[in-house]
Amino acid sequence: MTEAQEELLSELRETHGYKTQTEVVMDALESLAGRSSASFGSKLSHGVEPHEREEVMRKVIATASKVDEIIDKHGKNDSQLIQILLEIQREYNWLPKEALLWLSERLGVSINRIYQIATFYKAFSLVPRGRHLVRVCMGTACHVRGSMTLSDRASQLLNIDPGETTKDMRFSFETVNCLGCCALGPVIVIDGEYHSKPSTPELEKLLNECA
Amino acid sequence: MKQVTMSIDGKEVKAKEGMTILQAAMEVGIKIPTLCYDDRLASYGACRLCSVEIKKGERSRIVASCVYPVEEGLVVETESPRVQKIRKVILELLRARSPGLKEELAERYEVDKTRLDRDATFCILCGLCVRYCAEVKGANVLGFVGRGTERQVVFFPDIAFKTCPTCKECFNICPTGVIPSDFAVNVPRFEKQPTVFPVRLRDEQNLREFIKKIE
Amino acid sequence: MAKRIGSLDDMEQLRKRIVSGIDPNKTMVTICGGTGCQAYGSDKVFQAFTEEVKRQGVDVEVGVKATGCHGFCERGVVIVILPEEICYLRVRVEDVPEIVSETLVQHKVIERLTYEDPQTGEKSVKESDIPFYKHQSRIVFGKNRFIDPKSIDDYIAIGGYEALAKALCQMTPEQVMDEVKKANIRGRGGGGFPAAVKWQTTRSSPSDVKYVIVNCDEGDPGAYMDRSLMEGNPHSVLEGLTIGAYAIGAHKGFVYVRQEYPLATENTICAIEKAEEYGFLGKNIMNSGFDFTVEVERGAGAFVSGESSALMSAIEGRVGEPRPKYIRTSVSGIWGKPSNLNNVETWANVPLVISKGADWYTSIGTEGSKGTKIFSLVGKVNNTGLVEVPMGTTLREIIYDIGGGILNGKKFKAVQTGGPSGGCIPEQFLDKPVDFDELSKVGAMMGSGGMIVMDEDNCMVDVARYFVNFLSDESCGKCVPCREGLRHYHKILERIVSGEGRESDIELLQDLSDVIKDASLCALGQTAPNPVLTTIQYFRDEYEAHIKERRCPAKVCKDLISFYIEPDKCKACMICLRNCPVGAISGDKGLIHVIDQGKCTKCGTCLDLCPTRFNAVTKLSGEPVPPPPLKREVTREKGSEQ
Repeated sequence: MTEAQEELLSELRETHGYKTQTEVVMDALESLAGRSSASFGSKLSHGVEPHEREEVMRKVIATASKVDEIIDKHGKNDSQLIQILLEIQREYNWLPKEALLWLSERLGVSINRIYQIATFYKAFSLVPRGRHLVRVCMGTACHVRGSMTLSDRASQLLNIDPGETTKDMRFSFETVNCLGCCALGPVIVIDGEYHSKPSTPELEKLLNECA
Repeated sequence: MKQVTMSIDGKEVKAKEGMTILQAAMEVGIKIPTLCYDDRLASYGACRLCSVEIKKGERSRIVASCVYPVEEGLVVETESPRVQKIRKVILELLRARSPGLKEELAERYEVDKTRLDRDATFCILCGLCVRYCAEVKGANVLGFVGRGTERQVVFFPDIAFKTCPTCKECFNICPTGVIPSDFAVNVPRFEKQPTVFPVRLRDEQNLREFIKKIE
Repeated sequence: MAKRIGSLDDMEQLRKRIVSGIDPNKTMVTICGGTGCQAYGSDKVFQAFTEEVKRQGVDVEVGVKATGCHGFCERGVVIVILPEEICYLRVRVEDVPEIVSETLVQHKVIERLTYEDPQTGEKSVKESDIPFYKHQSRIVFGKNRFIDPKSIDDYIAIGGYEALAKALCQMTPEQVMDEVKKANIRGRGGGGFPAAVKWQTTRSSPSDVKYVIVNCDEGDPGAYMDRSLMEGNPHSVLEGLTIGAYAIGAHKGFVYVRQEYPLATENTICAIEKAEEYGFLGKNIMNSGFDFTVEVERGAGAFVSGESSALMSAIEGRVGEPRPKYIRTSVSGIWGKPSNLNNVETWANVPLVISKGADWYTSIGTEGSKGTKIFSLVGKVNNTGLVEVPMGTTLREIIYDIGGGILNGKKFKAVQTGGPSGGCIPEQFLDKPVDFDELSKVGAMMGSGGMIVMDEDNCMVDVARYFVNFLSDESCGKCVPCREGLRHYHKILERIVSGEGRESDIELLQDLSDVIKDASLCALGQTAPNPVLTTIQYFRDEYEAHIKERRCPAKVCKDLISFYIEPDKCKACMICLRNCPVGAISGDKGLIHVIDQGKCTKCGTCLDLCPTRFNAVTKLSGEPVPPPPLKREVTREKGSEQ
């Protein structure tokens, strides 16, 4: 370890008073560093300038201890993998790469299985998502009442396609295959609030209300 | 181990309980075409090329012989008209992805060449490489990502650099030749920057190079 | 801490105690808290009521309660004032003070908020007089409206957990099994497989550890029955599950809830905690020696997870790919143990069978399908919402008597049932009774209960393409017939709707269908051709119009339609011109507006905004767009405006 890392480590130990988790995390980090030619941290901070590396390490350690917290809650059992991933997703609103890697190490589950799950289920995102989530329902009931038009209009207003996030990280826009409120179709959900058949001006107003 | 007696293509066959129809047929020399099957791996049941028709009393249905267990009194037909149609269309679907695949079988089942639009990505997602790497080698270099029509095979360069150069056993399993070619393209690309994250095995660049090579 | 219930007597006493605390004559405002009504602000309405009764000083005489979904989602927020049963629809926060002062204080009905028949104009004050409710028999779903989903006492007050007490204290597992067998409950998730047969298989499979599972991964687009049951009355599902576990000999249960339903998850977790407090779950339930615990598993968003083997894989923490089910999950399911999975609604039927008996239960329904079924009646129908009717009710009764007919007086075209596994049923079969067997005879299926009504403005080729898109996205992608078959379905249908269809395409679709149906690994693939095949079977003329004439008869498919302003109807009002997002409309005040077909993106804003009294914008398909008129000035009639 570099001097800076040493310092960071002891600082973390002192200031946060972590006795168990962080120590476990740090031990594992150290052992990983020893085991492979490229250490856990440097794998993640590849291409990062040396002066930024400390910051990256700090972030990685914070994520790792968060993941540990979640694992402790659910039990260190690979049958909990999906539930753990769901909670990481809820925590960060996406799945940070270091969290997946750490999870793989801690649960002893191969990284390919984690990626398969993370890309199979719609709840997971491998890229950071915007502050506000806009979802247009594409269920059959919504479809026959014009959800395509609603989705096109939302897309036009947000200036992104479904599945994308605005550059300013304000909005992520998704289409969903049925939200289960079929009597109201077509439906758009903004941050968990359901809106039934908004007109273009109404939709614009709703979106403008999102900071 | 209990024995069961059944009929395959009119032939009386004795098989051990727990065997699959495919294994029982192989033992008596009846050849059922397969693609995603490999006797070193757990049966997968994905390509459905080994589909056969079984009859129980009046009812008849199609099952994948590589996963369906033998049963007392089962009547199996491996080349019924229904089965032949399935093989024909499955080969047609697969060859739209990977032209030239299973040439001999394609001729035998008179596969139509023109009906479907080609969309050649060559990898047919049979999963042989992924499963061999995981089940036999325990290396997990390869994996699946995505679902539905978006499903793809990826590899993890970081693990690949440690294991693949001395192994390369999956090269011979791949029915389409994708793996060796992709390996050749991808190794130099990631040598300097090994990453622990998945990389699409079949991207635009190596697809173009692959097509150039076979044309 | 609630007292643990240890016997049938305890149970009865508890119920009496709860009921004695409730004055049946006390005025109670029940406010629907289902997702539909929440979208219309039922939370705020509830809050407004709580504050307003206090403000007007009637908070002692009047109770306010947020309940589960009432079903009439189209008219949300729905409130019912008990005991008079006065039903108010489309209630907004602004209406609350008036309701409190007029109805709650002075017992006067506010006509404006009551139901008015769109055809006859007739008013209905009482909930049970409204045609939407009158023709239903809500034996399972109807309890929702009396219960605060977070209150176990509410459920007990209406007889909840009595069936469990009866089963555990008075019946052997065999007797429970016999009763369920006699009642012939069939799986409500769509398959219609007899529940008792599945239970029996799990029961007789040799293993110490067995599991029971509630499938609340309701993925069928256009269906939300399970959501409303699980959110609105979770105890009824848990009670059924526990009875089933007792009959089967399972000690561990899972409720698998899709991630899109956070409220269902929340209410189920709450219900489990409450049930544990009373000892309806846990060790030695009601001193019967039977132990049973339940855990909630959250789904992560995959339609295919609703398939039983895929769902079990997900519980094991693996990717939700179906596996070949040549060995049934009831023999080898979660971690290789016998696992019995039923759908939410199926479990909710179990307590009814136990408390009222199989004879009563089998008196409802048809020969092969007993009891009732909940449907999500949605799409182009006047009264959308959840309806529960006896099996065997005809499609016509559901769509016209309950649903109030087609929206805006349009012509019925088809009803889609069974989700992506079902089919589109045309008008000629409207008198078919709906049950597990009848709809299958016409190529569709009853399915889990989605019933999407389509009118003359829906294109059936577009509907087929819609389902194929859905399935291509939701298929797990493991087996070739499903993954590659759907890929080509998609390509073919895309080219048909964009006017590039080939004469041989219909035949090609049918040919692929045979193989996808026969050779796919799981039910998703095996039934994927149904929406394509039924639309070809009943609406072949629409396919042919797209392919041969490049025409979309319903004027839906964007590539085959043009928007056109009829010069003699246009009053040059500037509305469409100003609102066109791409500036494709030219004209001016007094100058007839004309759409530049090259610029038009066919978003339909002009059609939506053209005032109905002009009705100048129309869609054309299969005919050339007439050139702009030579004379662009609007001829103004005397006294006409703009």
